[in-house]
Formats: sequence, C-alpha cells, structure tokens
Amino acid sequence: MIITILILLAFSLLSLVFVYMAITERDLLKATAFSAGQSICYAVILQAMGAADIVMTYVAVSVGLYSALLIFVISKTERFEEVSSR
Amino acid sequence: MKRVIILISILAVTLLSSLVISFVAEITVPRSLRDLSKYYIANTIIDTASPESVAAIVWDYRGLDTVYETLVLYLAIVGGLAIFTIKGGFPRGEPMGLTELSRNATKIIVLLIATVSAAIAFHGHLTPGGGFPGGSALAVATMLIIPVYSVNILLEKGITSTKLVAIRGFALTGLGLVALLPVVKGLEIVTNQKFYPGFLNGVVISGSISLYNLLEFLAVASGFTAVALYLSIPEELYKGEVRD
Amino acid sequence: MKFVIEEFTYVLIICVLIINALISIYGIVYRRSLTKKLLSLTVLSDTVFVAIILAGFIFTYPIVPPVYSDIRGADKDFLLNHASDPLPQALVLTGIVIGLAVNALIAFGIIQVYRLTGTIDARKAVKSLLEEGVE
Repeated sequence: MIITILILLAFSLLSLVFVYMAITERDLLKATAFSAGQSICYAVILQAMGAADIVMTYVAVSVGLYSALLIFVISKTERFEEVSSR
Repeated sequence: MKRVIILISILAVTLLSSLVISFVAEITVPRSLRDLSKYYIANTIIDTASPESVAAIVWDYRGLDTVYETLVLYLAIVGGLAIFTIKGGFPRGEPMGLTELSRNATKIIVLLIATVSAAIAFHGHLTPGGGFPGGSALAVATMLIIPVYSVNILLEKGITSTKLVAIRGFALTGLGLVALLPVVKGLEIVTNQKFYPGFLNGVVISGSISLYNLLEFLAVASGFTAVALYLSIPEELYKGEVRD
Repeated sequence: MKFVIEEFTYVLIICVLIINALISIYGIVYRRSLTKKLLSLTVLSDTVFVAIILAGFIFTYPIVPPVYSDIRGADKDFLLNHASDPLPQALVLTGIVIGLAVNALIAFGIIQVYRLTGTIDARKAVKSLLEEGVE
C-alpha cells in the first residue's frame, strides 16, 4: 500500500518538474527530451493506478512517436526558439 | 537561474496548498467502483465472451463510437498526406545508414518489437492490449528503421506509400463490413455475440472483437508508417514546388 | 495516519495536474514558436488523459487491471473489489491514438507554414502571410 502511495507522490512531483523544464526550454530538442521524461512519469503514474491497457498505448505513442514526430519537425524547421522581445 | 527559482517556488506552492487543502477540507477518497463500472466488469464474459473488459467496452458496448473514431483517424492522416504530396511520385535513392554494428543491433530490436506488437494486437481480447497499442508499437519499429537504415531500404523492400494507403483502405473497409454485416440478419449495427461466434474450435475469439483488433492493428500501423515515410522526404525536393 | 496520507496524495495529484495544465496553456498561448505550441498541446492532452484516468481510480490494495484470468470468470469477486475502472480507460485508449493523428496533421501544417514563410515564429508567419495576401 505504501509503495503505491509513494510512487504516486514522487512521480507526480517529478512530472511537474519535467513539464516546467520542457515548456520554458528555448532549445527545442532539449524540450522534446524533457517532454519524453514527462511522458515516462505519467506512464508510471498510470501503471500505479492499474490502467495497464493505457500504459501500453501511452508508452508507444507518447515516448516513441511524439518524440520522433517533434524531432522530424525540428529537423525540417528551426532548432532554437526566438527570444520574445517584450 | 531564474528558471530554477520559479520552479522551486511552484513546487513549494503545490505542496503547501495540497497540505492545507487535505487538512482543512473534508475529503473522502473513493474506495469502491461506480455501479456502471461494476456492471461492465461483472457482465463482460456473458455479454461479449471476452475476459478483457476494456476491449469489451471499446469494441462491443461502445463499438459504434470506436468505428467512427477510426474514421477520424483515417481522415486526419489523409489530410496530412495531402499537404505533402509531390509531383512525380515518391523519390528514390541509394540505401545509406549508420555503421554495421548499429544496423545489426537494430535488426534484432526491430524483430523483437514487431513480434511483441503482433502479440499485443492478436491477444487483445484476452490480455491488456489490442489494435491501438499493437499498431502504434509497430509504427515505432518503422520509426527506428528510418534513421538507422534510411528510408530507401523500406522502399526497396516494397513498403511504399501507395501500398500503405491501400492497406489502410482495406482495413477501414473491413472494419465497416464487420460492423455492417449483422444488419443483413436484421440485427443492430456493431452487434457482437448474436451474430459472431464466441468460440472457434474451443479457442476464445470473442466474436468480432478479435477481427476488429486485427483490422485496427493494420489501419493504425500503416497509417503512422505512411506519416513517417512522408516526413522523411528531404526538404530540398519541396523548395522548387513551393516557388512554382 | 493512513487515511491522512491517502487524502494528501489524492489532493496533491489533482493540484499537480491542474498546475501542469496551466503551465502547458501558458506554453500554447504565450510561447511564439509553433513547435513549442505543438509540444505544449501534447503535454496538455496527456494531462487531461491522466485526469480522466484519475476519475476512475480507487484507493484499494492491490489494484489490478479489469481483466479476468480465465474465461469462466472465477475471480469475479476479487475483481469487483480490486479492479480499476474500465470505462475511462476505454475512452482514453482511443483518444490517445486519435490525438496522435490530429497532432501529426498539425505537424504537417507547421512544416508547410515554414516552407511558405521561412519562419516558425507565430507572429512573423501571420504577418508574412497577410502581406502576401495583400499583394
């Protein structure tokens, strides 16, 4: 029982860190890596909640395919986000 | 540095607010399922001959929704491919790629992923899994082949975009047929147990659920493989087209 | 003490999901790179999916997937008390894959915008497209 609670606590806080780092990062490749880390945290949370079907889909889609899609987009466009001048 | 300070303050605010809320407000955590979910779990074997209640809801209880969602998936990918269509067909080139070591390692890994994805898809009515997870796992394998072996090896092996779109069309037509066939006997659309057999030679096939899983596996895998193929076309080819 | 830590966990996960959603909405609205907007959109959709699963989560130990171990349904009583909710899982399962297809469409659109305007900065791209329209 305590292990489920601890996993939920630790990985939900870790996902917050990853989300913040991913959104505020200016290098888009690094942001993609942080986003993959956030996906892994969510996958662990889902597994702790007993949703095994979702974990199978979610790991393949969110860690694998989204990262590949974003890397393709970055390789075809620009790698760095421009600094906002406001 | 400013980022780290903001991050620590956000974490502190989250922890403090949840501490305060959990002490001040009287929260009762849920300890038992809703009646609707209990119904689904209790009756899944009787109604659908599938021990997997999620697959039963996806393809039997709420089957019509999922058929329409497959249509949305088809249209979204077709819309994307329409933007990327180029004159003169798909470009071909010499196979290139990374070193021998990484190629051999990738060969083993791709074989493993393909086997596991097929197992996930074809056991979808018995164990967690199904057409959606299996198809996306197979698409991951092609996404792995493209950077290591270059896209030309896929085209040489006969995995072209035309064939993939044809497989998608076939899978979607099959889904429609499986959903529509019960209407012939005067039953409702997307009927499972009254029309399709639950057991075949003593093997559990859960009626139409295994058929749906197989076809959805083909549709999802070929769709995302087509997306990967079109994304890997070099950008120089498009520059002339945009200027025209 | 047991009940306190369970309530705290429940509230903390809800708070974290709300703050994740707020951060990703900030990313969608205020970040100027179109790729960053797409990334924020994927984070927002993932957060919503986890929130939907959380709506069906029950605090029981052990918690197992809602799958029978045999076709005769021998472990029905155990599952009714210890299984997670199958209905939100079925909703999210299709949602994830459809979301990926729609985001792939958005990605194709971003690449096309870059081809036409030479930038992925949202304001510059809109300005450039508007000027072309005036001519």
